[in-house]
Amino acid sequence: MSAPNPDPEARTVNLFAPEFARCPQEVYARMHAECPVARAAITNSPVISRYEDVIWALRHPDLFSSEMELQMALGTERPMIPQQIDPPAQTRYRKLLDPHFSRKKMAELEPDMRGYANDLIDRFIDAGRCDFDPDFAVPLPCTAFLRLIGLPLSDLEFFLELKNGIIRPQLKTQSIDQEVNRTARVESGRQIYAYFEEVIDDRTARPGDDLMTQLVHAEIGGERLSRNEILDICFLLLLAGLDTVTATLGCNIAYLAANPKQRRSLVEKPELTDGAVEELLRWETPVTGVPRVARKDMTVGGLEIKEGELVTLLLGAADIDADEFEASDRVDFERARNRHLAFGGGPHRCLGSHLARMELRVAMQEWHRRIPEYQVAPGEAPRYSPGIREVLYLPLVWDAPR
Amino acid sequence: MKVRVDAAACVGHGRCYELAPGVFGEDERGHCRVLLPDVPPEQQKPARAAEANCPERAIQIEA
Repeated sequence: MSAPNPDPEARTVNLFAPEFARCPQEVYARMHAECPVARAAITNSPVISRYEDVIWALRHPDLFSSEMELQMALGTERPMIPQQIDPPAQTRYRKLLDPHFSRKKMAELEPDMRGYANDLIDRFIDAGRCDFDPDFAVPLPCTAFLRLIGLPLSDLEFFLELKNGIIRPQLKTQSIDQEVNRTARVESGRQIYAYFEEVIDDRTARPGDDLMTQLVHAEIGGERLSRNEILDICFLLLLAGLDTVTATLGCNIAYLAANPKQRRSLVEKPELTDGAVEELLRWETPVTGVPRVARKDMTVGGLEIKEGELVTLLLGAADIDADEFEASDRVDFERARNRHLAFGGGPHRCLGSHLARMELRVAMQEWHRRIPEYQVAPGEAPRYSPGIREVLYLPLVWDAPR
Repeated sequence: MKVRVDAAACVGHGRCYELAPGVFGEDERGHCRVLLPDVPPEQQKPARAAEANCPERAIQIEA
């Protein structure tokens, strides 16, 4: 490990700068070289970047807790379940939820997903152009979510509005005032609670064969879940299930549009798709970091962390660490050893990872089967959002099929 | 070749049963179950790939 840079300026990293969202790999490499544990600009909170440190922290919820102040939360009134709860309580919820998100269960949805992906492509393929984010990357995971938990697909627009109200309230309020946006967020949160309250009432009276019905009737240790527990699970599924896959689809297609040689290898050899999905998850790591709260004073990578401090585990930086990955700055769809942390690790491993992998595989296969040659519209450049790296603006063009 | 899985370390990433479905299976939660603790020669390459892609380092291989 290199010695920490003594200059405090050099040990500061701005995770919300636009250039970070566009090309975080440069920032990660600088952190590894100069300050493996830095402090975030503005908040001054510790940011951990080395693979070994990140996986160690992920595996120690006793030192790095997921239970944090609700002011951190996104319009919720209580912690989201199971994401913002530590073991052992978290383990009981995971035992209940994991079987509903297993690879086997997700495989049952695959034929429908293939259909949805093709329905979306049908809408714009003849035009020879699309705005990738709103036309494909946003509606596909949202449709999957509605289908999975058993809500009518006709609620798609309504859900997109609620989700945006929580994640990007500034688009709705047209304001950068924090108080205005916080109020808008709380209002969207209230609408989400109200919507799911109705669904719970409906499934209690009229059980179906969907996930909502199973949650309503689920038991832990012989006791039914409370109404609030069900709501707190639904809130998480909504917030965690939509933006993340949307962002990953955008990052993947933006990368492949800029790297035609690798894109053609994928078109010629569709069997590389699984490897490409894993490698682009590693390289792009759209969920760049996850928050934890330090439960003790400790020193990590030469930096003192105080009990109660909010710590960012920078998954994206861990995923390009040269101490873990051979030729870590090379994107290789046939990488033999890839223990990336794009879905986190330890007890909080992303509940939806098998759903995400299925969606990504289907989307990449169907897109490249139908639209093998594409590029970013001439004169345009993709625009990435900070935080979760959604490619908000990705105009694509191709030769329309005759 | 023999494989072992540290059940306490496994959190269900599922890379092993994806990469070496003949050697590893999944329980109800999607956590790993070893199907073939004694790995036959034709399954050794996928078994090694599973070991190399487990983020929790839960798989041990003894040649």
